[in-house]
Amino acid sequence: MSSQLTIALAGNPNCGKTTIFNNLTGARQKVGNWPGVTVEKKEGILKYKNQTLKIVDLPGTYSLTPFSIEEITARDFILNESPDIVVNIIDASNLERSLFLAIQILELGRPALFVLNMADVAEANGIKIDEKKLSRLLGLPVVFTVGNKNKGIDSLIQAAIDEIFRFEKGKQSRDIRYSQEMETCISKVETEIIEYNIVIEGLLRWNAIKILEDDKIVKERLETAAGSDAKKVFDVAQECRARIWDLFEDDFEIVLTDDRYGVIAGIVKETVSNLARKRIDMSRNIDLVLTDRFFGLPVFVFFIWAMFQLTFSLGAYPMEWIEVGVSSLSGIIDNLMPPSMVKDLLLNGIIAGIGSVVIFLPNILILFFCIALFEDTGYMARAAFLMDRVMHTSGLHGKSFIPMLMGFGCNVPAIMATRTLESPKDRILTILMTPFMSCSARLPVYIVLAGSFFADKAGTVIFILYFAGILIAILSGRLLRTLFFKGEEAPFIMELPPYRMPMLKSLLIHMWDRSKMFLKKMGGVILIGSIIIWALSSFPKTTSYSMDYEGQKDTIKAVYVQKKANTENQEIHILDTLLIQELNGIENKKEQEQVSKSYIGMIGKGLTPFFEPIGIGWQASVALVTGFVAKEVVVSTMGVLYGVGNDGGDALEKALKQSGMTALEALSMMVFVLLYVPCFATIIAISRETAAKWACFNVIYTTMVAWGMSFLVYRTGMILGFG
Amino acid sequence: MINTHEHEKKQFKRLFQQQGVDQFNFRFQILEAFLKLEHHVTINEIQAQLKKDGIDTDTGFIENSMELLCRFGFASKIKLADNEPQYEHRHLGVHHDHMVCTKCSRILEFKDEAIEQLQLKVADAYGFHMLQHKMEIYGICSGCMADRSPIVSLHRAKQGERLVVKEFDSGKNMQQRMSSMGLRIGDIIEIVSSGFGGQVVIAVGENRLVLGKGMAEKIQVQPFGRKQKKNCIPSIIPDNIGKSLKKLSGMKVGQEGVILKVSGKSVLRRRLLEMGINRGSMIYVEKYAPLRDPIELVVKGYHVSLRVEEAANILVEDVKYKKG
Repeated sequence: MSSQLTIALAGNPNCGKTTIFNNLTGARQKVGNWPGVTVEKKEGILKYKNQTLKIVDLPGTYSLTPFSIEEITARDFILNESPDIVVNIIDASNLERSLFLAIQILELGRPALFVLNMADVAEANGIKIDEKKLSRLLGLPVVFTVGNKNKGIDSLIQAAIDEIFRFEKGKQSRDIRYSQEMETCISKVETEIIEYNIVIEGLLRWNAIKILEDDKIVKERLETAAGSDAKKVFDVAQECRARIWDLFEDDFEIVLTDDRYGVIAGIVKETVSNLARKRIDMSRNIDLVLTDRFFGLPVFVFFIWAMFQLTFSLGAYPMEWIEVGVSSLSGIIDNLMPPSMVKDLLLNGIIAGIGSVVIFLPNILILFFCIALFEDTGYMARAAFLMDRVMHTSGLHGKSFIPMLMGFGCNVPAIMATRTLESPKDRILTILMTPFMSCSARLPVYIVLAGSFFADKAGTVIFILYFAGILIAILSGRLLRTLFFKGEEAPFIMELPPYRMPMLKSLLIHMWDRSKMFLKKMGGVILIGSIIIWALSSFPKTTSYSMDYEGQKDTIKAVYVQKKANTENQEIHILDTLLIQELNGIENKKEQEQVSKSYIGMIGKGLTPFFEPIGIGWQASVALVTGFVAKEVVVSTMGVLYGVGNDGGDALEKALKQSGMTALEALSMMVFVLLYVPCFATIIAISRETAAKWACFNVIYTTMVAWGMSFLVYRTGMILGFG
Repeated sequence: MINTHEHEKKQFKRLFQQQGVDQFNFRFQILEAFLKLEHHVTINEIQAQLKKDGIDTDTGFIENSMELLCRFGFASKIKLADNEPQYEHRHLGVHHDHMVCTKCSRILEFKDEAIEQLQLKVADAYGFHMLQHKMEIYGICSGCMADRSPIVSLHRAKQGERLVVKEFDSGKNMQQRMSSMGLRIGDIIEIVSSGFGGQVVIAVGENRLVLGKGMAEKIQVQPFGRKQKKNCIPSIIPDNIGKSLKKLSGMKVGQEGVILKVSGKSVLRRRLLEMGINRGSMIYVEKYAPLRDPIELVVKGYHVSLRVEEAANILVEDVKYKKG
């Protein structure tokens, strides 16, 4: 047999599914040590012997009752796509809770395999699991693995394939039997379904249980399949639920949960022989400091601060190298090509645009490395734990803090990460708040502006900006909560995984994946953006200038020729350099005038009434408008508009200082950049994750907040005399 | 006694004649037969007594007459559980309550002034005007308790009893099956229900098990402690219940206890249960977050955090500081 088999990996959050997936397929999925890293299913292909296996990594779930989107994703895949086998990955050190999902998977009646992962951790904790007995009790194969050390992966694949064939030969999964009352109800509903000849997907027994549990999705499906007959089935189910209520004074699903834990308690009693509750308490010891009543929050703030400090100080060195590389590249092109439109486009459009962005790659690599470190060690979950009280003030869940923290990297994955939130209200609210988290793309703007105007205080200014972003996000949350999202808050029930030693490989994968995204964005959106901006700023070609620049040039040249004649040979060299500088200065002025008369200049000037009250000049206004495409473009636009051309960051800083911009204006602009619409991609992500109306709302709302805050900063500064 | 009965008969004649009840003589005979019998009698027992007196009547007529006697206050009908109705003499102004043995169906009368007073007091406290009351205590009478051996097979145990599993009279296979279901020797079980064709539903901790008659017969059990009704915890949990019973939110760092009840909204409860925070689980308070909200807990060997307001839905018993 050589057809393709589909293997789905399912399991509790944070049990190591993705690590095993990566080991199986060699793919580089993001792995982290906090619950909810995988929010979408991911696929990979594996060749094993003569089989082609499609491996699907599902988001982690605690049960097959869908609470959040990720859980629905996992369940729908298992139900609708009918994978050939469901491989349930179980954290061996946490068997009892893991079995709750395991039993539900078993109940689906599809081929299943249990994988006891992190076997080494379990062993170290003194837990011994009799896998043969477990296998016998549940009627399915059980294998041990150590995901991060790549142990037991082959036996996993072999066992999975064997089990698929066993099912093909007619094997059926074992039913889990519950108490008499429950079984009576289940068989009653089963009979109804058969009676009305309703065609259902999946196992009859499973469907019956779900209907009794009042599962809306299963019920809807039945309704579309059977129409009014379904109603009759539901009536019977409702009677049964009433009966169970009379007997146990509780809902069917709660009683069933109790029953399931009963079964699990039995299994655990039978198979786990050494219950030495001796947690190797590295985790607890680390937490003594990291989540301490007094040290916890300061340490957290320190970590965040250290992360950004590291990003900038360590990142400065490779930044320089890249800068040198970019300018020498443009120098080569300048020398090789004859003057033409194409050359202008290449130098002043593409290289100026991309060059001014690519130098931030080191910063971004370091930032993502730090975030990856937080994720992999398990500190992320602690951050949520520490911040829940704060998040709670804006009516949010501590878990919302994780997407928001990720927003520091890039808002797009951050918005994706909100899928871990259970309540749709919380999700939308978090998504609307996330854009206020200063993403890495805004960093270049701060570096240029803060670097130019605040010199050695730049780090502190940027740090304050980040915190201002958090503060405004929280305040906005509070406001939006009271305006649009009244009502119940979602419960905060979050697992705190033990700290784990991060794997270097995984850290590098994280870093690379995200940086790749950054580079791709550059290749795509930013390249196009740069070209458009170049075009807008180059056309219409100006023919009449306010001054005769060429004439000025000629005069100066003539002056120097005279000077040269009057000086000694040694000084001619110095004069030549001076001449070139002066000529360049005139050339720049000419370019600036050209730009100011171009389309983009018109747009910028058209926006002056809007930006003037907040102290932003027309060049900066244009840069901000182009920043809607992507924040990186702000810097490159400024590069073009301030006529730095291909000289890179350092030259831009000089040009800014020369342009007469004050520190206060720079600050106002940074505040505006911090708060206004993040980028085109983020808007698309918001619209995809929620609805177009929320995306529109976000654009308007963020721009309003940005303008308001900048106005406040600028006007206050003016009054205090910093202008 | 005789005097009283004479008085009753006189009243009977007067009332029944006044009301013009038919077949007066027959009904009078039934009354006489009923009065001859003491305690609680069924229709069949009255019929038997009538037969002894040389009168043959069908049960329908007796039943009809007994209903009339009840109506005029000569008899009271007692309908206990699933048994057939029984009648007792009604002595006006004299009241008593019943204890019913669920094993031998004997009905014991008792009267306790304190209970009577208490009932009046309770009714009074609620502004309720009490017309009459009925009190029945179900259980096993002293005779039956003495009769039964300390170790019995499970199928003879009665609903609500708490028992401890002593041994399995069965092969290894069944024993293994039992343990896989979570039933082991030494476990304390509670009978949820029995009957239904010999089937017994038991509760082992959190787990409900259904045992067929054959299986129940093979499990030897011994009564354990008093019958307790654990389910009767008020749904609104008062803040301070006792020393060892606490809301989770009221527990201090380093304390542990056994979860007794998880209440709250259905979604929250379900989530808690799915995360392994269910009745009977051991829970330990690891710490509070710096801002006193959420709480970090250890349950089933893993760490989880909850908000204080959510933790208030969880009632914990046997709260004490963890050793070591």
